[in-house]
Amino acid sequence: MPIQLNKALVGREFPPFVVTIERGKIKEFARAIGDANPLYLDDRVGQASEWGDIIAPPTFMTTFREAGGDGADFLRELGTDISRLLHGEQEFELHRPLKPGDTLLCRSRILDIYEKTGRSGPMGMVLRETVAADKTGEIVGTMRHITVVRL
Amino acid sequence: MKYARVYADDVKVGDELPPLVKGPIQQIQLTRYAGASGDFNPIHQDDEFARAAGMGGVFAHGMLSMGFVGQLVTDWAGPGQVRKLGVRFAGLVRLKDTITCRGRVLAKSSNDDVHLVDLEVWAENQKGDKVVTGKATVTLPTRD
Repeated sequence: MPIQLNKALVGREFPPFVVTIERGKIKEFARAIGDANPLYLDDRVGQASEWGDIIAPPTFMTTFREAGGDGADFLRELGTDISRLLHGEQEFELHRPLKPGDTLLCRSRILDIYEKTGRSGPMGMVLRETVAADKTGEIVGTMRHITVVRL
Repeated sequence: MKYARVYADDVKVGDELPPLVKGPIQQIQLTRYAGASGDFNPIHQDDEFARAAGMGGVFAHGMLSMGFVGQLVTDWAGPGQVRKLGVRFAGLVRLKDTITCRGRVLAKSSNDDVHLVDLEVWAENQKGDKVVTGKATVTLPTRD
């Protein structure tokens, strides 16, 4: 009998959290990918660019996490644990590049939970969306990801 | 060719992006990516944990491969030009794998002064198995 995911969590909104983008974090992230683009790493190149500063790589929003939260409580409530998770899909929509000093209010919610049968058996799919808005309330980025739970 | 500036005028449907080869993947890169991204799932670090979880050993963060695909796009279009990047993780990336990212132009469109180019993007391992498949949309300048 495969485990059952708690579908009552569809629609769950997580407490909003604030992220301030740090210059060093952008560089650390670019280096971890092995991307030496000077627009990520070189402050002078950034200042001379159309953006006026270094910018973050397109997948940088993945670093946005609730401070101190490792998600273990949510996984327990969902009915699983971290050893069963795989990353299924990921999408970013960016309205402008992210820069050091950007302070963003992030709102995250569960859009859907459903089941599917994959090559390796039954899987639960959890679709989550996080929207990041700047101080004026304008949305600068949205990420959606599907976490796969091996049931 | 690296960091070349591409103009919308010069792009045709079917054009291929210069491939980007990354790897071989080493454990230290996964550790580094964990620190940079905040994703400390032990399944990417601890071989014993990954085996006990039925995964046959550690594998790379999907987001690292997506980062490679992002680099494929930004090496071509320039950082800051990406409006959308979406992928499906189609296969696991293992230690010592070499990942080649590829892309091609699917469509071009313009409204007002914004010129958008849709791309098909993917990444494959040294056996030719696709590990990431997806799409991207970039905005490109024109020559005038």
